[in-house]
Amino acid sequence: MLCFTLLAAGCSTKQVVVEGNFPKPLLDPLPITLGVIYPSAFAEHEFFDEAKGRAESDWLVKTGEAQVEFWDILFDGMFDEVVHIRDWETVQRRAAEIDGVLIPAIGDLQYTIPTHTNVKIYEIWMRYEFRLVDIAAIHQQEDGALSFNPDERLAAWPITAYGKTPTAFLQTDEEAVNLAAVVALRDAGAHFVTSFGATPDVAVWLDGIARRQQDAARSSNEQAGDPQPVVDSVEASPTEGEPDSGEAL
Amino acid sequence: MSGQRIDRQTARLAGLILLAVLLGGCVNATVDEMTYNEPVAGIGESSVVILGRRHKPDYDTEFDFIECIGDHIHSGDPSIEVINEIAFINQFYPWFEPRTAPLQPQTIDRLLQLPPVAARFDEMKLEYMIWIDGNTENTESTGSMSCGIGPGVAGCFGFGTWGTESEYEATIWDFTDKVEVGRVSAQTSGQNYMPAVVVPIPIIAPVQGTACDSLGDQLLEYLSAFH
Repeated sequence: MLCFTLLAAGCSTKQVVVEGNFPKPLLDPLPITLGVIYPSAFAEHEFFDEAKGRAESDWLVKTGEAQVEFWDILFDGMFDEVVHIRDWETVQRRAAEIDGVLIPAIGDLQYTIPTHTNVKIYEIWMRYEFRLVDIAAIHQQEDGALSFNPDERLAAWPITAYGKTPTAFLQTDEEAVNLAAVVALRDAGAHFVTSFGATPDVAVWLDGIARRQQDAARSSNEQAGDPQPVVDSVEASPTEGEPDSGEAL
Repeated sequence: MSGQRIDRQTARLAGLILLAVLLGGCVNATVDEMTYNEPVAGIGESSVVILGRRHKPDYDTEFDFIECIGDHIHSGDPSIEVINEIAFINQFYPWFEPRTAPLQPQTIDRLLQLPPVAARFDEMKLEYMIWIDGNTENTESTGSMSCGIGPGVAGCFGFGTWGTESEYEATIWDFTDKVEVGRVSAQTSGQNYMPAVVVPIPIIAPVQGTACDSLGDQLLEYLSAFH
């Protein structure tokens, strides 16, 4: 019975549903109304790794729920208004006010545990693909699902993220992988915040919004008969990793 | 004949245990200090934050070590307010993550150009930011131990020993002038023993604890008006 239990333990699947408490970013939100679409592959993202030998276990790491929770908090803190686009009705109703639609995807996820590397560190590495499209590029398919034409995108850029956690006394493999995933998510957010305005196509998009808002403010001032100078409300931040390079980034 | 051999083995193990008890808990510590502009009158109502460096690929400075130093300073002088590290990192997210944390005191000026960051620093009345870099590792181990289990009986017999080394450096930043005002380092090492006659008895050298006390004492001496 004991032998059977030990054999079964060797073949079992270790499962981690990533959970964590994610902080709100300390930023001045950009005056932008951002649409966000979480594709199902993103919102239900999971990673499965089959055991290579009898001494190892299969691993199933479910990050989808944590991804949505984390990016919701980050986007809410980074932009004036965030509109979750889940159906065509939202697209039609809010199209006029949405400045752009962000669609995140997970390109790759890799992990290592001490059993694999003989190093006392658990690591998770992720690569995201972010796409920014105009609301006009979102279409409804025959089955009602939303889609967009990749050629109509405003910007596309990758974000990499890395999280590690050392081994600790009385900490299970699952707990350590969860911690590493939470660190990786936080790192993804930090990378996103510091590189958003520095991405050339995003900077062009931000400049365009700033110009539109400036023109709208000027024309409303002219109509009111008050020729006051207008202050730019959105500025692109051109330098990666430098928090002083823009209004909020 | 066989009984004599067992007696000799037991005597040898008893000798090792005695040696382990005598040596156990012995920790060597070396502390270096170089500080400037000591706040002679203490830091008043200002606060201090102690943060661990976690951007190196092969180790992270342990959160519990940072907490230990903070507790050591606060218990030595309760008037010094030490901000909790995790709370601080969360309040300033994403500016103190491994990817974004400032590596030089001069770069704090860039962070202060962000109005919400500057406002939060003002609220905290932060006077010193102390960065701790380093970790504790187990080194070479020797010895052997075998354990057995049978109907109604279980036990271990043998002897194991391993070393532990800590190496930490604290860098003190004056938050008002945005300059580095000191460095304190502590290197400690010790040997751990695990004799086992039926029940293994770990005799652990408090290597990390000694490093915490050594660094904590030096930082307390720097920050406090009463030490």
